Amino acid sequence: MILELVQFLLILAIAPLVTGVIRKAKALMQSRRGPSVLQPYRDLGKLLSKGSVVSNDASWLFTITPYVCIAAVTVAALLVPVMYAGTFGFLGDLIVLIYLLAMMRFFMALAALDTGSAFGGMGSSREMYISSIVEPTMLLSIFAMALVAGTTSLASISQNIASSGLDLVSPALFLAAAAFFIATLAENARLPFDNPSTHLELTMIHEAMLLEYSGKQLALMEMASMTKLVIFLAILSNVFFPWGIATGAEPLAVLVGALLFLAKITLLALVIAMIESSISKMRLFRLPNLLTVAFMLALLAVVSYYILGVA
Amino acid sequence: MSGEGLRSIVRQLPSEVMVRIDRHEIEGRDLRLVIRPDGLVPLAGHLRKELGARLVTLHATDDRALEGCFKLHLVMAPQGMDALVSATAPLGLGEWRYESLTPTINDADWYEREIQDMFGLVAIGHPDPRPLVLHEDWPEGKYPLRKDFLTGERPPRVKGEYHFTKVEGEGVYEIPVGPVHAGVIEPGHFRFSVAGEPIINLEVRLGYVHRGVEKLSESTPYPKGVHLAERISGDNSVAHSTAYCQAVEALASCQVPERAEHIRVVMLELERLYNLFGDIAGIALDTALSVAAACGYLLREKAMNLNECLTGSRLLRSVNVLGGVRKDLTPNDREKVLATMVKLKLEFDDLVTLMLSSPSMMDRVETTGRLTREMAVDLNVVGPAARASGVDRDVRRDHPYAAYGNLNFLVPTQSGGDVAARMRVKMDEVRESFSLIDQALDGMPAGPVRAKLGSVPQGHAACSLVESPRGEIVHWIMAGRGAPARHKVRDASFCNWLAMEQAVLGNIVPDFPLINKSFNLSYAGNDL
Repeated sequence: MILELVQFLLILAIAPLVTGVIRKAKALMQSRRGPSVLQPYRDLGKLLSKGSVVSNDASWLFTITPYVCIAAVTVAALLVPVMYAGTFGFLGDLIVLIYLLAMMRFFMALAALDTGSAFGGMGSSREMYISSIVEPTMLLSIFAMALVAGTTSLASISQNIASSGLDLVSPALFLAAAAFFIATLAENARLPFDNPSTHLELTMIHEAMLLEYSGKQLALMEMASMTKLVIFLAILSNVFFPWGIATGAEPLAVLVGALLFLAKITLLALVIAMIESSISKMRLFRLPNLLTVAFMLALLAVVSYYILGVA
Repeated sequence: MSGEGLRSIVRQLPSEVMVRIDRHEIEGRDLRLVIRPDGLVPLAGHLRKELGARLVTLHATDDRALEGCFKLHLVMAPQGMDALVSATAPLGLGEWRYESLTPTINDADWYEREIQDMFGLVAIGHPDPRPLVLHEDWPEGKYPLRKDFLTGERPPRVKGEYHFTKVEGEGVYEIPVGPVHAGVIEPGHFRFSVAGEPIINLEVRLGYVHRGVEKLSESTPYPKGVHLAERISGDNSVAHSTAYCQAVEALASCQVPERAEHIRVVMLELERLYNLFGDIAGIALDTALSVAAACGYLLREKAMNLNECLTGSRLLRSVNVLGGVRKDLTPNDREKVLATMVKLKLEFDDLVTLMLSSPSMMDRVETTGRLTREMAVDLNVVGPAARASGVDRDVRRDHPYAAYGNLNFLVPTQSGGDVAARMRVKMDEVRESFSLIDQALDGMPAGPVRAKLGSVPQGHAACSLVESPRGEIVHWIMAGRGAPARHKVRDASFCNWLAMEQAVLGNIVPDFPLINKSFNLSYAGNDL
C-alpha cells in the first residue's frame, strides 16, 4: 500500500521535471542555453501565488474545469504502475484510465467554449477533431496489450509481461507501442500535431483552450497537462516494455525499478525533444493521415495477436 | 535616351488627355505634366493599358495659401523604362471632389482613402470610401495634413463605429485577432470570416501606429528629417533615410561623391541581409522547425553585430546624412565586413540546405498562401512578394540609384507565388546581397564621403525610389522653407497589405501566421 502511494506521488512530483527536461534538450539542440530543468516548478509556483482573472461571460463550468482536470489526471495517476507492478488496481482498469482522460478533454473543450472567445472555440473544435481518431487508437493499442497479457488492469499487464521474461515479446507489442507513441504525441499537444512553444494563437490547438485561464487556475491546468504527459510516458515504459519493474515488494527490486523508470522516462523525453527539433508541424488537415497510420498499427497489433497466436 | 522615350509617350497620349494638359516638361528621367483633374482618369488608364505603367504614388498637397486650391499628384512608372511620369492636377477653387481612379487602376484604392482621411478630398465613385488611416474616434472635419491643422493639435476623441466587411452564410463566423497580439509584434487588427477552417475573407485594419510622420516632417528641418525618415520603419532605416536624402539631394542638385554612393550600397545591402535572415528564420519558426529558426536568428544576430561594429548601431541608424554618409569605411572595416561575409555565406548555405531538404517543412510552405501573377500586377505588389509571383521588378535595376548602376546582380524570381516561392526568392536575394557587398567594397573609389548640400530651392518637388528589403519605397518631397512643404512617404508594406488579404483566401486559419510571416510587412511603415 505504501509503495503504491509512493509511486503515485513520484508521478506527480516529477511531472514538471519531465517537461523541463524536454525544453532543456530542445534548447540545447537549438544551440541555446535554455532555462534550468527546474523552471516549470518555478513557473507553477509563480502562477500559484497569483490571482485569477475570470471573464464576466464565463459560467461555473469555466471555474470548475481546472479542478475536474487536475482531479481526473490525479486519479489516472493512481492507476499507472511506475516502479512496482501493482497499483490501486481495485479502483479501475485501463478503460477507466482512458475515460478519465477523455473526461478531462471534454471539460477543457467546454470551458474553452464557455468564455465565448474565438480562439477557445477554434481550439475546442480542433481538439475534438483530433481526439476522434486518437481515442480509438489509444484504446485499441492498449487492448492489444490486454490481449497479450490476458487482463485489462494496467498493473497486471505490467506484472504478467515483466515476469514472463521474453516469452511474451511479439510483433503485437511493437506495433501497439508504435501506435501508442503517436497517440502520445497527439494527446499531449506535441509536434507534429501541435507546437507547444508557439505564441501564434491562430495555430494553437491545446494552448488555445487555455488562453483564458490565468493564475492559480492556469497553474492547475498546466499541472494537469504535465502530469498527463508523464502518465502516457509511464504507460509506454511500464505497460509496453515493463522489464525491470519490481514484481514484488523487495526494497532492492523497487529501487532498481525506480531507477529504470527514470531512465526510460528520460529517454522518451529526449526522443520527443529530438522529434520536435527535427520536423515541422504538420498541416491541420494532414494530421488524420498520421493518426490513421497509428490506428492501423494498433489494429494490426490486435489482428497479429489472433493470427500469430501468442502462448 | 530616356528623354526620347518620354517625348514619344507625350506624342502617343490620346487626344482626350492631350486637351486637358496645360503644360508638360521633360527633365532627366522625369516627365512632368500639369493636367486638369478630369484628365487624371484617362491619363492613368492610358498609361496602364498602353505602357503597363504601375502606380508609384498618388497623394494630395494643400496649396490653398498660394494658389487657393488643393492639388492631386499622380506618379506612374511605365514598364521597362527608367522614367517617371508625374501629373499634377490642381482642383478648382473650393473644390474637394475628384473622379476616383480606383475603378480604372485598382492599386489607387488605399491612396484615395488616405487622401480622403488626410485632406478631406473625396474620390467620387470609389468602391469602398470607409476611413483608412484615421479611426472612428477621430472627429469629423479634422484633416491632419491640411495646412490649417497645426502640428501637435490634439482633437477630442469622439464616439464612432467602424463597419467591417460582412460575409454572411450558413456556418460563417468571424474571428477578430488583435490589435494586441500574443507575440512581440506590431499592432494590427485582422478580421477573418471563416467557414470551419478555410478563410473566406480577411480584412486587415491598420493605423494603430500612426505617428503623423508626414505632418511632422513638414516642420522638421532637412538635416533632422533624415533621423525622422530612419524611424518610419525601424528595420528599414537605411532604405528610408537613403530615399529621403536622395530626394533632398535631387532638390538641391547636390552630387553625392561616388565613394559615399558605394558605402550606401554596402549599408543598404547589410540592412537587406539582416532583414532577410530574420524573414527566413521566421518562416522556419512558424512551421515549428525550431533548429533552422535558431540558425537563422543566429545569422541575423551576427549580421547585426557587424552593423554595430561598423556604425555603432545594430539597426544602422545615423549612417546617412544629406550629401553622403556620416562616416567613411576604413580598410579595417572593409576587412571585417569581408571576413564576416565569408563566415555568413557558409552558415547560410547550411541553413538553406537544412530548410529545403526538410520534407515536413516544404510540405507546409508549398502551395500555401498563393498570390497569382495577375493579382500581383493588379495590386501593384512590390519587392520579394512580387518577384515570387513572377513579376520581375526591382528598383535597384529598373531605376538605379546610389552605385547600383555600376554593379552586376541578378533579380531572382519565382513563379509559384506561394510561401515556398517567397522563401526561395528571399534565399536567392541573400546571395545577391553577398555579391553586391563584395562588388561595392571592391569598386569603391577613394575620395570624400560627403558633399556640401547647398540650398534647397522652394517650390520644386522630387521623387526618390529605393528598394528596401520589403520592396519599393517612395519619398516624394516638395520643398518648403528649410523643411519639406509636403513629404509623401510610401512604404512597400502599403502596397502589399492588400495582396496579403488576397493570398490567404481559401487557406486554413492555422496557416495564416505562416503566410503573414512570408510577407513580413511593416505596420509602422504603412501607418506612418
